[in-house]
Amino acid sequence: MCLHSDTAPNSRPCEDGQGSLSPCAPLAVPFVPFQQRGSKKYDQREALANGTLFPGLNLPFHVKAQAGSLPEGAAAELQALNFVVTELGLYLDTHQDDAEAIQLFEQYTQLAREGKRRYEAMYGPLTQRSAVQNGAYTWLNDPWPWEYRKEGGGT
Amino acid sequence: MFVYEKKLQYPVRIKNCNPKLAAVIISQYGGPDGELGASLRYLSQRYAMPYPELKGLLTDIGTEELGHLEMIGAIVHQLTRKLSDEQIKTAGFDSYFVDHTTGVYPTAASGWPYNAASMAVKGDVICDLTENLAAEQKARVTYDNILRLSDDPDVNDVIRFLREREIVHFQRFGEAIELAKERMNQKNVYYMNPAFDR
Repeated sequence: MCLHSDTAPNSRPCEDGQGSLSPCAPLAVPFVPFQQRGSKKYDQREALANGTLFPGLNLPFHVKAQAGSLPEGAAAELQALNFVVTELGLYLDTHQDDAEAIQLFEQYTQLAREGKRRYEAMYGPLTQRSAVQNGAYTWLNDPWPWEYRKEGGGT
Repeated sequence: MFVYEKKLQYPVRIKNCNPKLAAVIISQYGGPDGELGASLRYLSQRYAMPYPELKGLLTDIGTEELGHLEMIGAIVHQLTRKLSDEQIKTAGFDSYFVDHTTGVYPTAASGWPYNAASMAVKGDVICDLTENLAAEQKARVTYDNILRLSDDPDVNDVIRFLREREIVHFQRFGEAIELAKERMNQKNVYYMNPAFDR
């Protein structure tokens, strides 16, 4: 069980996967414990495969509980980087002064930008504004993201 | 505004057609706890949010939900590609097929077309965020139930991802309620509605 707010702000009174709650709190409103700073994190590929960056929030269902199996290739690589950016973005929305998370967010946005450039050079534009490649309008090129493809490559 | 990125949030690659399963999963496209309702709920609620963290969080989760809508559409599309004459008669899918062929239409699995009555925008911080906690739980249970009904590992792989997102979103909405309460009347958070009362 958790200890409460008498500890210093950066110490971690609770285990990973737990959060702190104040001992006294107003009645008649919902309470969800705040996720602690410095919570354990997966690397980007594990994060995407599990649907969260945070092992403490990974709460699978007993039916078919194992983590997903991701394909190899530039698309999944980019999806993993973008996923960490999305996940950290939501975390920062409620933890806007977590310096470690801010730094990590900056690193991953940079990696995602590089990943996007690599991907677009190999497979074509991700956004319409990067659709002109070598003088040709490539936005309309198949495949589109919802279409089935056996292997590799795009999206 | 929104800019489209020509990729999915998570890979969707479903080898085998399964119209019966598609007729179940369509509920997360246009059903009562589906991704269309989720994105509309959050992107609509944000206008009445008085605090910056809440405006940001609803914008960001609402945007992610649009990506999930696209993933569900991709699952349904891939499960129903190249169907044989025999497959379109599959019990459970035939009644969808007669109205929509293999187009992706926002409807509940029970046949009700998407209905905004399954979501709420109340214009009150605590009320809307509490609705969102419940909404994430309902979507999580729908994904649990899909995992019970589906034996296709390609589908379950994606469904597990989407289910986990509901849990993370629940956590963030819960934290958002904490942040909102800190800014409200400490003795009585119901003293006024900060989106309306000045």
